[in-house]
Amino acid sequence: MKVANKTVSAVRLVQDALKKAHEFSDYNIFTFLNEEGALKKAREIDKKIARGEKVGRLAGVPYALKDNFLTPEGETTASAHILQGFSSPVTATAVKKLEDEGAIMIGRTNMDAFAHGSSTENSYFGPTLNSHDKTRVAGGSSGGSAVAVALDIVEFATGTDTGGSIRQPASFNGIYGLKPTYGCISRYGVVAMASSTDCVGFFTKDPDDMDLLMSIASGKDSKDLTTLDDYYNTETTSGRTIGVVKEFDNDSVAPEIRKALEEKCELLKSKGFEIVELEMPALKYALSAYYIIVPAEITSNLSRYDGIRYGFRSDDSNDLNKLYAKTRDDGFMPENKRRIMIGNFVLSSGFYDAYFLKAAKVRTLIVKEYEDAFKKCDFLLTPVAPNPAFKLGEKVNDPVAMYLEDMMSVSLNLAGVPGLTIPAGKTKDGLPLGLQLIGPRRSDKALIEFSKNLREVEE
Amino acid sequence: MKYYPTIGIECHVQLSTKTKLFSEVDNDARGKEPNSCVSPVDYALPGMLPRLNKEAVRFCILAGRAMNCEINAFSRFDRKHYFYPDSPKGYQITQFYQPIIGAGHVDLPSGVSVRINHAHLEGDAGKLTHFDTYSLVDFNRVDTPLIEIVSEPDIHSAKDAHDYCKELWRLMRYAGVTYGDLYNGNMRFDVNVSIAPEGSKELGTRAEVKNLNSFRSVERAVEYEISRQSKILDKGGKVIQETLGWNDATGVTTGQRSKEEAKDYRYMPEPDLPPIHLSDEYIKSESEKLPMMPADYREKFGKVIKEDILEILLDYPALMQKLDEMACDKAADTVALPLIANLFASVLLAEEKSAEYLNDLPSAKQLSELAEMNEKKELSSTATKEVFLKMFDPQMKNKDARTIAKELGVVQENDLGALEAIVDAVLKKPETLKAQEDFKAGSEKVLGFLVGQVMKESKGKANPSAVQDILRKKLA
Amino acid sequence: MNVDVDTINHLAELSNFSISEKECESLKKDLGEILKYVSLLDEVDVDGVEPTYQVFEMENVWREDAILPQEANRGQLLALSKEQKDNQVKVPKVL
Repeated sequence: MKVANKTVSAVRLVQDALKKAHEFSDYNIFTFLNEEGALKKAREIDKKIARGEKVGRLAGVPYALKDNFLTPEGETTASAHILQGFSSPVTATAVKKLEDEGAIMIGRTNMDAFAHGSSTENSYFGPTLNSHDKTRVAGGSSGGSAVAVALDIVEFATGTDTGGSIRQPASFNGIYGLKPTYGCISRYGVVAMASSTDCVGFFTKDPDDMDLLMSIASGKDSKDLTTLDDYYNTETTSGRTIGVVKEFDNDSVAPEIRKALEEKCELLKSKGFEIVELEMPALKYALSAYYIIVPAEITSNLSRYDGIRYGFRSDDSNDLNKLYAKTRDDGFMPENKRRIMIGNFVLSSGFYDAYFLKAAKVRTLIVKEYEDAFKKCDFLLTPVAPNPAFKLGEKVNDPVAMYLEDMMSVSLNLAGVPGLTIPAGKTKDGLPLGLQLIGPRRSDKALIEFSKNLREVEE
Repeated sequence: MKYYPTIGIECHVQLSTKTKLFSEVDNDARGKEPNSCVSPVDYALPGMLPRLNKEAVRFCILAGRAMNCEINAFSRFDRKHYFYPDSPKGYQITQFYQPIIGAGHVDLPSGVSVRINHAHLEGDAGKLTHFDTYSLVDFNRVDTPLIEIVSEPDIHSAKDAHDYCKELWRLMRYAGVTYGDLYNGNMRFDVNVSIAPEGSKELGTRAEVKNLNSFRSVERAVEYEISRQSKILDKGGKVIQETLGWNDATGVTTGQRSKEEAKDYRYMPEPDLPPIHLSDEYIKSESEKLPMMPADYREKFGKVIKEDILEILLDYPALMQKLDEMACDKAADTVALPLIANLFASVLLAEEKSAEYLNDLPSAKQLSELAEMNEKKELSSTATKEVFLKMFDPQMKNKDARTIAKELGVVQENDLGALEAIVDAVLKKPETLKAQEDFKAGSEKVLGFLVGQVMKESKGKANPSAVQDILRKKLA
Repeated sequence: MNVDVDTINHLAELSNFSISEKECESLKKDLGEILKYVSLLDEVDVDGVEPTYQVFEMENVWREDAILPQEANRGQLLALSKEQKDNQVKVPKVL
């Protein structure tokens, strides 16, 4: 990662990044460009360097921020209509940590509104285009961040992953994307989607950068009671046994992805790694459980958007209930509404036990299945999604088809285990392919170390 | 027809923690500007997460034990969803599935015992003020910690309802978990009332009167509901299950919601808060910090202090502690304690004084000495009260009883020698000769006149009964 | 689980949406398909299985009862709302 120093100025790094951001404006990557703010910060860092003062580990490094992280720069909208006009007085903990190390946010990136989606087509600002094929989706929900890194506009970008929102766009754009262990990075100041599965993570071009970012951003936060102790730098295990999941090896997965996985396994075998095939039958139910539990938490977390205290308010009605209903009706995207209503359905009296409680029990089976799997192997290697980047508009009007894209990514969020997307070549049409490396909870660093070795092996 | 009322009560108690339940802002907004005690968490900005106040959890142990309740080792929070401007998150964080306080019972002075079903910890809502065309929202009260105490339907009269609420109020203040300031809504009561024909097994349909904030209004609301429902049943009508409001001015309950369909709150486990798991040791060590409770005082002083007096004083924990200190240096005291208790009661009954008088109580030593002087006839009952009152007077309050009595010049002269001298002086006075003759002649009533003369001579300090004895001797 | 118009309207009410009839129709279709998909869980036997709501082992995570400065003050917070009056948020009359 290029850091500012005596020879390369922070201002130069930021100017280059902003220049590229403008060059690629047709990809609809940014919802806000932090031009003045970024340059101001860059100048301060250059002054420090000139004075020989100590600068952080990310001094002058331009980065892109997913639009659901709260900061005073620009408006934090989660690419949703209902948050238009909201400029936050508070700053997310993860952002504070990055900026304390000198990182410079050059812009906020486009996403599916409230991170509800797998293509970034559900954005109030319209879709972001895939970095390798403008007729295809960027993936989602963190599409803008993934494309910003893939097009080399920034060194890294933040993302959030509730069911695959970092891993899938990373694979659609051929870069690294990490969804850490649940509780590894503070969620304070991140617009909540589903509190029990939301994770903050990153997109990078290589595992070394990922490692650095994790050592900076991870750790206990008194503002998020669900954050784990500062384990990231302490816990590493090296893996020799790699598991592949039988349930993911079927016709619902594109041949080129299955081929990429086989090749990776062959390579590993040839280097002396052991490959074991595992049966994980409960994973079949992960997507159903996910689309009950997550909408329930969405319904709850999105109750606060009512047009009263901040953000968008539908043209002032003098009837409170009309004001609520109009504001929420106009302010949410169709997919937001579907999930809110599904959530209300599964929580409503008479259905709670049959849906929400049942799904919470299935979740227990999934947690257990991962625990058992990691008794038999160190890591799992699976596809991230059943297909490479699909065409814009192909699935946006078919919710279930869109949900099926998350088939192989959501179970990690339900179990709280980390997953790292690693690049795995391209399709014959030149679309990036990615694979998902999964480890037990708290194995984040081990995953990254393993992907470093893998990269060396390949070179 | 005679009906038998059945009453269950839900009581909300605002806890007097320094900070709110989920943020580090001032929890005591009394007399503060609107929205001056509001954090981004209370305002429910996006991405804000609750930060649980440990002290509120500790208070639950104290409050629970004060009501003889089980404290559940394992408890957690849930979200209760509804849209209203006073609820910024769109849900209330409460404990629906696994509350922290389990079953217990509250025993009333009358001997009635009311079982507690459970009590849970939750956040309060904000405050709305209504104007002709708009309403204003003040979030100061948002997520002030509340304990909601849910009773079993063990109450069967308006008076018991009143006494139950008052006893809860005492228990919570003895436990030290609330300011107990009813005027500021520190305690609010929802009362469920139903009636059924005497002897019938089933309960009638209940109506709930919400948001009562005084014991008196609880009593009146229950009385009103009993008669309202009786009239309906007498006419062969049906009581409908509904939520009512109470108008203290008109003394009438009125329907609050037109369409009373059961609300669906869609409770969901709170994912942002890790569960609470209390060890037996912790529960035990905290429970032991509970001071003496009203029941303990009734036990200890019931035989010494008249019940009606004791029940008055029991409203004031600090005062009961003082009496207990006195009782400690004069164990099983049957004279001093009742005297002091009566003095306090007489002061407290003068309503407007009570508050200020209790800010700064006399020391147990002062009070004991006062009682002693009264016992030894050094102070008449009037003088005793006079000295007692002076003990609250900023100039005097640090002086001991005797000094105050001396300064007031109300110590009675009991020295017989000195008294005889005064009596002799009086008997020498010509104006008393006639009376002396009459007395010797058998007229008792003149004795009063002679005693009066002596009192005058002694400037009121003589002990009248002693004077009488001496006179009788000398005129025998 | 078949979803009818009444269900949609009930859910819209719980969700506080004022939805058009056209919207109601498409939601009826979409929600029906989603609920049909998740009903896959019907075939799972969860007898004796405890539910999982959170994926960490932490308990008793709490803070001391001490007042701390907050990241935003009253002025900053109220300024975010559409209408204010007397340091309070102004809303249409609540009936």
